[in-house]
Amino acid sequence: MKYETKILGAILIITVVILFGGIFLLSRNQENNIFQIDYSRGQKIGSDSAKVRMVEFSDFECLACSAVEPYIVKLRAADPSKIQLIYRHFPLSQHAHSSQAAALAEAAGEQGKFWEMHDKLLETQAKWSSMNDATAFFMDLVKELGLDEDKIKQTMAGNVIKAKIDSDVAEGNSLGISQTPTFFVNGRKLDLQKFEDLDTLVEQELKK
Amino acid sequence: MISFSLSNRLIFVFSLLGLSVASFLFYKYGLNESVFCPIGKGCDIVRTSSYSHILGIPIPFLGVVYYLTMALLSVVHSHQLPHKLVRKLQLLASTFAVGFGVYLTFLEVFVIRAYCFWCLMSFIISVVIFLAIVVSRYEIRN
Repeated sequence: MKYETKILGAILIITVVILFGGIFLLSRNQENNIFQIDYSRGQKIGSDSAKVRMVEFSDFECLACSAVEPYIVKLRAADPSKIQLIYRHFPLSQHAHSSQAAALAEAAGEQGKFWEMHDKLLETQAKWSSMNDATAFFMDLVKELGLDEDKIKQTMAGNVIKAKIDSDVAEGNSLGISQTPTFFVNGRKLDLQKFEDLDTLVEQELKK
Repeated sequence: MISFSLSNRLIFVFSLLGLSVASFLFYKYGLNESVFCPIGKGCDIVRTSSYSHILGIPIPFLGVVYYLTMALLSVVHSHQLPHKLVRKLQLLASTFAVGFGVYLTFLEVFVIRAYCFWCLMSFIISVVIFLAIVVSRYEIRN
């Protein structure tokens, strides 16, 4: 065998081992690790004493986040004493309006309509995500939900909401999140092959 | 025109690059999570489109198989340069890959109307591999 063949063969084997070994280890670690999550934070549906506590780190401008929504809606309709859903913000830097959308949802939450705004933002994502400036569109949503527009603007401009979103991002980063949506069920990071699996995994957790 | 030896080394290096890109995408597709897009935000749109799988097989998996095959062929080829059968297999596979890449890029531009950075990178890599093969073939003819 030629010297070059040996060298190329060795490089190929090393590359394959690193790539596939890395993928295997990353997938395995995600399955076994129980992450310590701060359950006092985030927007919640369901009881703190629920058997299943699912945390979603999400971004209103991410397409996968709106694609998973129908499965989340199913879980939202489940028994709140058994399943608790917690929404945490993780606006990705490559999305132009996601931080503004997160602030808008939190400001709506101050007036008791976080989930209504959450749903509106995801439903209309395709419209506002392509805009250069989505502020006017967001204010239309505020009116549609019957919220106090001046209060919303004030709250969005304040530091409290920014700090809240920043702390969500900081915790997300410490949990090793780099993409959205990322789900944790009772502290276990989910490795979803398809979104349909979300309901199945939660059901399995309920049966444990 | 380039020598067979240089052509083979180029094919090997770019196959490893392509393998890394395809493996990254395959891993992300498997997790069904948002894909980090260095330029633009079309990666998720393409990933969640109905064209991201063929017969249930994720497209990046086909990329992994292709680049791994090309890397293996260039290792085999380095043993005896030029080897007619290996050259033919390389040309056949890379022509198919570039053709498939053109089809996928067409889908991105005209049907999905979104650009996936990593898919375009993979397409460019497959074009470079194809050119490396074709250019060295000219050398044999001239």
